Amino acid sequence: MIIIGEKLNGFIPSVGKAIRERDEAFLRDLAVRQEEAGADYLDVCAAVDAEVEAETLLWLAQLAESASSLPLCIDSPNPQVLAAVLPHCKRAGIVNSVSMENGKIETIFPLIKDTKWKVIALTCTSAGVPESAEGRLAIFEQIRAAAHEYGIAEDRLLIDPIVHTLSTDEQSLATFAACAKEIRARAKTAHVVSGLSNISFGLPARSVINHAFLVLAMQAGMNAAIMDVLDREMVGLLHATNALLGEDEYCMDYITAFREGLFGQKKN
Amino acid sequence: MNKIDEVFSAIETGKAKIIAELVQSAIDAGEDPMEILNAGMVNAMSVIGERFSRGEAFVPEMLISARTMKKGVEVLKPYLAKGAATSLGTAVIGTVQGDMHDIGKNLVAMMIESAGFEVVDLEVDVPLERFVEVIRSHQNVRIVALSTLLTTTMPAMKNIVAGLNQLETRESFRIMVGGAPITAEFAKQIGADGYSADAAAAAVLAKSFVA
Repeated sequence: MIIIGEKLNGFIPSVGKAIRERDEAFLRDLAVRQEEAGADYLDVCAAVDAEVEAETLLWLAQLAESASSLPLCIDSPNPQVLAAVLPHCKRAGIVNSVSMENGKIETIFPLIKDTKWKVIALTCTSAGVPESAEGRLAIFEQIRAAAHEYGIAEDRLLIDPIVHTLSTDEQSLATFAACAKEIRARAKTAHVVSGLSNISFGLPARSVINHAFLVLAMQAGMNAAIMDVLDREMVGLLHATNALLGEDEYCMDYITAFREGLFGQKKN
Repeated sequence: MNKIDEVFSAIETGKAKIIAELVQSAIDAGEDPMEILNAGMVNAMSVIGERFSRGEAFVPEMLISARTMKKGVEVLKPYLAKGAATSLGTAVIGTVQGDMHDIGKNLVAMMIESAGFEVVDLEVDVPLERFVEVIRSHQNVRIVALSTLLTTTMPAMKNIVAGLNQLETRESFRIMVGGAPITAEFAKQIGADGYSADAAAAAVLAKSFVA
């Protein structure tokens, strides 16, 4: 299970403020705490105006890389911004993201082909997201073919079959699960990834839905998540679910994570 | 509860299965169709919109109330006097080019329609040319509403508003903008006529533009 810590994202009001004010201490602290909580990668997203996005994201990435030893997940909807920041990173991380929308693969795949960078790929095109699992799986096959064409091995792919919010799509999880299962079956070394908060937009007590979604999505085959790693309950559920799904020999990961204090009652 | 109150209550609580009979019952009892529309339906949507703004009602509830009102309006339509001002004008709405997000835009479309406008929804990823084409080909366009969720498509919003501001018919409609990264300041900067923070406020703003 790949854990990508989501907190260094300018869409979060407190983080957006810290980015605007160049509050390094605040952001470094978030990087360190997410690493201590067990993140494997740190997502960094500037969420600022287009004119300053590349320079801001570069600043944020370099700050995160110096504050923590973790590789980064470089997050922007603009492939030009991603291309501007990647070459300056010290460690190969994850590109967040490409899709079959115009220009994304053409910009990013050549850049990463001879590196160890992983990449998140969304099953959408410039026309949007297909309603059906079949439609999204067809796009997955296009992504897979493109990766093959550029010589990018399948184990570098994290496929996001898109999670619509439950508040407008009661079948959101069902569709996601159908995709996740198929993708895992067809591409044995690829990951299926998702953010854990889209699902609950527009509903009350969002974290309750997010927690339930984590468990159900893992059962369906999701094995990477962009999540709030500072949410101890969420982390506990992740390790518990991993063990329950038979992915944790002797439950040792679960026991170890517990001993490290990543979830459960905090001492003192 | 009188008949109009029953219609109001059904829309407020999203009782789509019984709205048709309630509206018919109100009509049969001799209630004025415009009263049924305004006091019974438009007001109900206004109330649920306010609750949504306060965080007391949620997206699915807005959806079922809007669906209920739509059903009710279908029953009412034949009884509304021809030529009566049932429409406040046409509102054209869309998410700007480069952006696929639509939930907020859909809620705004619903609320503006419930408030009495004819809504032409251009969906998502809409370029300037499409807005212009639709404005030119429709009667009585009074509102043009633009949405975006991404900071990266704010320049696209700016360009579309700049393009719309060049139109010879610019005086005949108002431009309103919204979406998570949008502010009243940004709206002013780019030359839009107004900004609203959510769907309920958008409906209020739209109505104020044609008052």
